[in-house]
Amino acid sequence: MTTAEPATTVSIASGPLVGPILRRVVGMLAARADLPLDRLDDAVLVADLIAARAPAHSIDDKINVALDPGDRSLLLRVGPLRQGGGQALIVDAAVPGVGNVIEQLADELSIRPEGDTEYLHVLLAYTNGR
Amino acid sequence: MGSDTSPHAFRGSARESSNGARAHRVPRITTSSDVRLTLPARPENVAVIRHVLGAFAEAMHLPAGMVEDMRLAVTEACTNVVRHAYHDGVPGPIDVVVRPKGDELELIVSDHGHGMGPSPDATGPGLGLPLIAALAEKLEIQQCPSRGSRLSMTFRSRARGPA
Repeated sequence: MTTAEPATTVSIASGPLVGPILRRVVGMLAARADLPLDRLDDAVLVADLIAARAPAHSIDDKINVALDPGDRSLLLRVGPLRQGGGQALIVDAAVPGVGNVIEQLADELSIRPEGDTEYLHVLLAYTNGR
Repeated sequence: MGSDTSPHAFRGSARESSNGARAHRVPRITTSSDVRLTLPARPENVAVIRHVLGAFAEAMHLPAGMVEDMRLAVTEACTNVVRHAYHDGVPGPIDVVVRPKGDELELIVSDHGHGMGPSPDATGPGLGLPLIAALAEKLEIQQCPSRGSRLSMTFRSRARGPA
């Protein structure tokens, strides 16, 4: 029988520290997950977008992200967010002329309800074509 | 409960008298936010914690000397957790909180393991805690074998008076 390791989580009060800290944590874990440089860069860009947009949709004044590095993949679990916050966060991440950046960069994107809240799951992975 | 949960406090910094000059250029810590990072207590995650602390210090424009003290102290505290807190093969969590408090910065490193104490594989001279106590303005230790340990380190950013 194996016991699972505790999750890696980061909780940052909304404000100027969210971006710098989330970017570093995501960058380090993406590197450890052996993502190639372009996907590591994508992961950091997604982290920056989450840092910029998630505070408006969080249930409190903190941004909480759980990180699960896998085999050449990194799963970000953002939340708890208020109801509708997951989709709103995705929509807010749209950049004029570019489109929705998180949707374009994520290999999998899903919103998981949990009680009165919800979580945004963003999977970044390395596949042969990307 | 029979466990020693009383805090042990150490005050003062070994570097206090030698680098008082640098304290005069230290900005006041104004952010009221805090950061909490929880990771499996594995050696490679100590680097993540150091990296996050670097990002925090950079964003807060903390002076290099203070940052180096903090990083060294946190590295020692986290290494203690990695080496001694969990014995059954599966690393438990290591929890790090960075909390600005006026002119001070509180760093808390805690675990849910066996608490601190001699380890069968410990071969070093045990300089970790004395080093932390020397670097931090204040050190408070709480430990309980059934609930783990908690180290609270305080670093001061404002100018110090003459020794």
